[in-house]
Amino acid sequence: MSTSFTSGRRLRRLVMTAVVALIAVVINLPLLNALNVSFKTDGEIATSPLAPAGHPTLEHFANALGAAGYDFPAFFANSTMIACGTVVLVLLVAVPSSYAVVRLGWGGRWVLSGVAALRLLPAIFFAVPFYLLFSFVGLLDTVAGLMLVNTFLNLPLAMVLLAAGLRDLPVQVEEAAAVDGASDYRILTSIVTPMLAPSLVAVSVLTFLFTWADYLFAVVVSTTRATPVTVGAANFVTSYGIRWGDVSAATLLSALVPIVFAVAAQRYLVSGLSMGAVKG
Amino acid sequence: MRTRWILGAPLLAFLVLLVAAPITYGVWTSLTRRTLSGTDAPFAGLANYGAVLGDSTFWHSLGFTAAFTAAVVVLEVPLGFGLALLVNQRLPGHRVLFTALLLPIMVAPSLLGVMFRLLLNGDIGALPALLAKFGVSVSLFDPSSVVPLLVVLDVLQWTPFTFLILYAGLQGVPADLYEAAAVDGASYVRTLRSVVAPVMGPVLASAAFLRAIDAFRTFDVVYVLTGGGPGTSTTTASIYIYKTAFTDGDFGIASAASVVLLLLLIGLVPVVVRRIVGKPGEGRR
Repeated sequence: MSTSFTSGRRLRRLVMTAVVALIAVVINLPLLNALNVSFKTDGEIATSPLAPAGHPTLEHFANALGAAGYDFPAFFANSTMIACGTVVLVLLVAVPSSYAVVRLGWGGRWVLSGVAALRLLPAIFFAVPFYLLFSFVGLLDTVAGLMLVNTFLNLPLAMVLLAAGLRDLPVQVEEAAAVDGASDYRILTSIVTPMLAPSLVAVSVLTFLFTWADYLFAVVVSTTRATPVTVGAANFVTSYGIRWGDVSAATLLSALVPIVFAVAAQRYLVSGLSMGAVKG
Repeated sequence: MRTRWILGAPLLAFLVLLVAAPITYGVWTSLTRRTLSGTDAPFAGLANYGAVLGDSTFWHSLGFTAAFTAAVVVLEVPLGFGLALLVNQRLPGHRVLFTALLLPIMVAPSLLGVMFRLLLNGDIGALPALLAKFGVSVSLFDPSSVVPLLVVLDVLQWTPFTFLILYAGLQGVPADLYEAAAVDGASYVRTLRSVVAPVMGPVLASAAFLRAIDAFRTFDVVYVLTGGGPGTSTTTASIYIYKTAFTDGDFGIASAASVVLLLLLIGLVPVVVRRIVGKPGEGRR
């Protein structure tokens, strides 16, 4: 009887695994389909939408990477610069200020609440003002302009995560350093920042991911010179819609960078995304 | 205590230049007849607000956004919870499955929109071809099917997000509670109700809230897939404001609509701040 019990249990676990695997395939269908199309020849794409790539070709990837004269390499460079620059800016603004809030009592709870509340404002509200203000100061269609916008978009989550990370650090270490005569700046740079590494990684990964994914403000702020991959890929469909192979290769490559990043740092992605929701 | 002001200065500068200034300027623009191409912006008083509030397209976009938000939250929270409970059974291949389930949230929504177009394209898309094999021919982007389609696509991308939050929450249920329930001979459903539910209540609420905030500002996928159409049937509030500003070129009316939207949402701010920020930390001094 006990054997039939365990085999029933195993069967149930097997069925559950199959169900989860099926769900994983279904939610990733768009990605898998794009992967398949990007390796097909143009003829196969046009005639057999359901078949797997019969004669896998790298032509579409070569085209996307410059062989066909699209601007994609430039879009790629823009996205990379915008995302990396935003990560640096977010950390430069959020680390010292969250330290000032949590450890030095700056602004009571108002600063943190106020910044967290920004997350709730409809982002679209800022489209027209940013467009107008940026056009006055010459930031329209610049990589720097998009870095500033994305820093604004990512600050709330960064502040919340860093503040939570700081609260979890033992305050005694800092007190001991203060007794030894270390200044607040020195405590922040040599003691707190290294201990805060997990939160810094979480903030960096999420900021990179969200900045790479930004579409709304990229459409608003960029026209030609600062265009990132999200806008580039969407425009691609409109202008070269018939070249589906090139479109899927370009889109896939654009999606791949943050995927590699996020899978490598998955632990931090998970802790970062769930912290805001689970705590409190 | 000058130090804390110096350390906070970058944030303060940022808040003034990139938050306070745009908000002020946005409100000011809503009171003028500024356009995309024009250089002057004559004062218009409250005329733009009259125009927005009298525009049935604006109200339709708000209604559509609210209905869309309600639909995706109602679907994604239970589905994500079910998935979290399944994966929480420590199934074989647990780690690979977990990563595969998270992939959709790592893809930019606009890029996923392009991939959906590829998948759903009437000529070369795999899904219409598959449906045709079974003798089904539907135009997915017809007015009658486009709204459910968008809901399904949102569920495909964002159920992984609710799953992630809820799965993390399940890790907070103390293991000895499960054991105690098992010793008492409690059934799975019973264990869920009396052990899991009390811990998960607030987490479920958070997941629903975070999804609602993001679903309400939906722009990317819908804009890439339908551009708000056919007609204005899938115009979300964000798409309405974007098109008014950058297609019609009417910054004044777009700003007035933005202010109305802001006022509608601002009542929720204290609720969420309490939930996200939690309790204040203990200071060093």
